[in-house]
Amino acid sequence: MTLTYYPGCSLKTSSRFYEESFKAIFASLGIAYRELDDWSCCGASAAPTIDELLGHALAGRNLALAEREGDHFFAPCSACYNRSLITNARIREDKKLREKINAMLYPLQCTGSVEVKNIIEVLHDHAGIEMIAQRIAHDLSSIRVVPYYGCVLTRIMKMDAFDDKEDPTSMDSLIWSAGAELISWPYKMECCGASKTLTSKDMTFELSSRIMDMALSLGADAIVTPCPLCQLNLDLLPYLGREERNVPVLFLTELLELGLFGTLKGTGSHIIPVDEIVKKVKGK
Amino acid sequence: MDHLGFLHEMEKATGEKISACYQCYKCTTGCPVVADMDIYPHRIIRHIILGNKDRVLGSRTIWTCLQCTTCSVRCPNDIDVARIFSALRKMSVREGRAAERDTWRFDEIFLESVQRHGRLNELGAILRYKIDKKDLFSDTKMGMGMVKKGRIGLMPHNIRDRKGMEEIFRKAAETGKRGSGEKE
Repeated sequence: MTLTYYPGCSLKTSSRFYEESFKAIFASLGIAYRELDDWSCCGASAAPTIDELLGHALAGRNLALAEREGDHFFAPCSACYNRSLITNARIREDKKLREKINAMLYPLQCTGSVEVKNIIEVLHDHAGIEMIAQRIAHDLSSIRVVPYYGCVLTRIMKMDAFDDKEDPTSMDSLIWSAGAELISWPYKMECCGASKTLTSKDMTFELSSRIMDMALSLGADAIVTPCPLCQLNLDLLPYLGREERNVPVLFLTELLELGLFGTLKGTGSHIIPVDEIVKKVKGK
Repeated sequence: MDHLGFLHEMEKATGEKISACYQCYKCTTGCPVVADMDIYPHRIIRHIILGNKDRVLGSRTIWTCLQCTTCSVRCPNDIDVARIFSALRKMSVREGRAAERDTWRFDEIFLESVQRHGRLNELGAILRYKIDKKDLFSDTKMGMGMVKKGRIGLMPHNIRDRKGMEEIFRKAAETGKRGSGEKE
């Protein structure tokens, strides 16, 4: 099974340390992948807002490139995953739409032959919780975390999602396999307001603050998420003017990094400091 | 009842069976930003069914929406409410009725960046938006902090196949009018 890695814009710019983090744990877990050559932006939420066909064509360009490479299209960014998954399914099922998209992509052609996978699926399918639990070399049992899935990973219309759409648990088991203490909470899927960070800062601030407050009230040491937009938005809270205390917002791969190596590569990229969390890691 | 064809127009544009709505309020009760809306989501749907085009196109609600799609996955009649709001945005811009311009403007700038480079140039897009708004200095401290932490992409990256990218945008401009759905 070949894994074609589609970084999307975030993992090469604002969340470069997410890429470093997943690469470190993939190397340790023996997950092989190849970065898609000459990939482009998936259109994110901007393209379908303005022109749905353009949105499909932008996501379709990368899928078409990936079809030459292999069978799994791995998108660690939740927004890229969502767009690519939906376009891929629409291309498969709607011949008229497929022809329209392919006319725009010509000479590239997209048939919908790849499977689009997110980071949680790849960790489950290519490593598995048993293997992760065996490889964990550091004790995370004194770290209490809340799993934060965000909006777009599982809220997918007109088709099955890889997990429950409103109460997903697939990341919970990965966190549990890393040995951290998992807190159940009601804000797994609450929106952080990422689509309005620039255009309506107050709204984003209010939504993200609410999520941070809930995590604090439950005594969490960290919020763990697979989504670079959620991570950035919550991590920005001190800059958005929040004066109350914050807990660090870790990528799922960073929690595994702590369990595998006891350290974090991306310490310097976190706006909310992560030193306290790293100190809580104990040897086994 | 100013526009009875409106329901058909909306159903055609979105492929959604809007008339299946029986007003259960689930969309409204699940919405995280309903407090900032002038018309509740379930009422937008009802207005569409009744043909009240002007009320809907001029509403702030369609721009307040975060596209988090909580409403869509909860709808017992499988109506993608968020997608309908997205279609209403397109229509309101096309007809010059948009109650808010910032969201649309930023999305346009985002796409112009992708058209030019193939990928988003984060700093370039943010600066263009801020220049557009004549509000270059309001978030300087946040911007500097993010640059220091390496949390903004500073330099544009050009893909090799920029001709192909240009073609995609050219054909999109040719086939669809901006502001159209995939069904149109």
